[in-house]
Amino acid sequence: MNIFWREMKASRKSLLLWIVGIAAMVGSGMGKFSGMKESGDAMSGLMADMPKALQAVFGMNGLDISTVTGYYGMLYLYLLIMAAVHASMLGANVLAKEERDKTAEFLLVKPVSRMRLLLEKLLAIALQIGLFTAAMTVCSIGFVAQYADDASRVTEDILRFMAGMLFVQSVFASVGLAIAASIRNAKRAVASSACVMLLTFLLSVIIDISGKLGFASFLTPFQYFAARDILEDGLSPAYAALSVTLALTALVVAFRSYGRRDMQI
Amino acid sequence: MNMFAHELRMNRKSALLWAVALAGVACLFMAMYPTFAEESESFKEVLRSMPEEMLAAFGLQIDAIASLLGFYSYVFLYISLCGAIQAFHLGASMISAETRAKTADFLLTKPVTRGAVLRSKLLSALTILVATNAVYFGVSAAMASFVKRETFSLSAFALINVSLLLTQLIFLMLGFALALLLPRLKTVLPLSLGVVFALFMLSAIGASTGDGKLRYLTPFQYFDRAYIVRHESYEPEFLAAGAAVIAVCALFGAIRYLKRDVHVG
Repeated sequence: MNIFWREMKASRKSLLLWIVGIAAMVGSGMGKFSGMKESGDAMSGLMADMPKALQAVFGMNGLDISTVTGYYGMLYLYLLIMAAVHASMLGANVLAKEERDKTAEFLLVKPVSRMRLLLEKLLAIALQIGLFTAAMTVCSIGFVAQYADDASRVTEDILRFMAGMLFVQSVFASVGLAIAASIRNAKRAVASSACVMLLTFLLSVIIDISGKLGFASFLTPFQYFAARDILEDGLSPAYAALSVTLALTALVVAFRSYGRRDMQI
Repeated sequence: MNMFAHELRMNRKSALLWAVALAGVACLFMAMYPTFAEESESFKEVLRSMPEEMLAAFGLQIDAIASLLGFYSYVFLYISLCGAIQAFHLGASMISAETRAKTADFLLTKPVTRGAVLRSKLLSALTILVATNAVYFGVSAAMASFVKRETFSLSAFALINVSLLLTQLIFLMLGFALALLLPRLKTVLPLSLGVVFALFMLSAIGASTGDGKLRYLTPFQYFDRAYIVRHESYEPEFLAAGAAVIAVCALFGAIRYLKRDVHVG
């Protein structure tokens, strides 16, 4: 387990920074809710009739932001983006950094198989993502509960949001890992992973604005667990299954290609 | 001149990619305008049956949004997001390139002052951003005249487009200063994406809660496009705020770059 602990130690600072950032985001976002509460009511009735594209422009996406969960749902999209940035960078960086920092030889001449090495790195990723989401959950519940009338219901909604986030994070982290394991030039790995993340985000925005491209939702994880759907129908089992399949496929690709990878030293 | 040319050469591929990406995203968004305008038209019919005060509060807003400039103002949010990532990343990676690649001793032992190094780096970053904007301006203007339904104010359109360059300049200097603030930056991309998306989220929170003070905190809000369309000018206080951010970052970065100890090896 040395590699695992080495990994955790190396990234504790950045993880801490991310968690502080997330807490600040949730805190400042929810702090603004108190001002929203009064003015929102009149809007929400009309919003329901609005075409989807117009709703997207108003930034509501079918959410009633006069309720605390609806407002949190609006924040959720941005929290999801932050989680996706973290996960995709983490997944790609954890492998790519060895070649970039020229420590690949040092690592690979150790008496551990590449599979074992990758497995320990994967564990480190999983734990970091878990910590990230756990911190987010605690902050969200802490900041949201003070505005809620029915705290247990709100907590339940937030847990659902966070479960959705975990699925999205695991997709992006394993895709990042697969990219870093299979790409020829390790220097490009992090950029490519970011590129995948940004493209799927833009696609998600386009789907929201057009209002007609719903069939393309399976192409972008940002659409799998939209806040509106989570609040109305809970987590979609189909998309949960799709995320798990995507993540597992990416992991298989990662393990297969890392095993026969030529390191650039 | 050597350093200037070298920096341009190092960054030409990514600059080209960004220019194509920005122009492509603009084209995609604009291509959705015709359907968007039709849907808004039919929604306005619904609105006419609403009570008088509803119409007063909303009608103008809808009119403004359903026009080409209104729609462009909205999608421009995502264009400036992409632009901000490009600029921040350019600033941060350019200034930290030597320390990351361990070529700082090579560069700094050349018979040029650090000031000259800094000048040529910033000048080439400026050139890249101006070139990207020129491409973007041309493509988006062509696309706008292609999808327009009625004439629109060219000067407002131009002002919106120029605000991309101004936003990018602010983010360039933010990236530049932040990269110098962190002594041993290893991967730039997580930093770039994290900071830019955090500011983007702040901007979204500020926009949907209508908080005036929050606007100063995030450069995404310095150029309010609704204001630009109405007045065909920028808000002077935010122009000043942008200039102040640039000046502070430049000053800090320059002092730091000229004086810092460089880790070699």
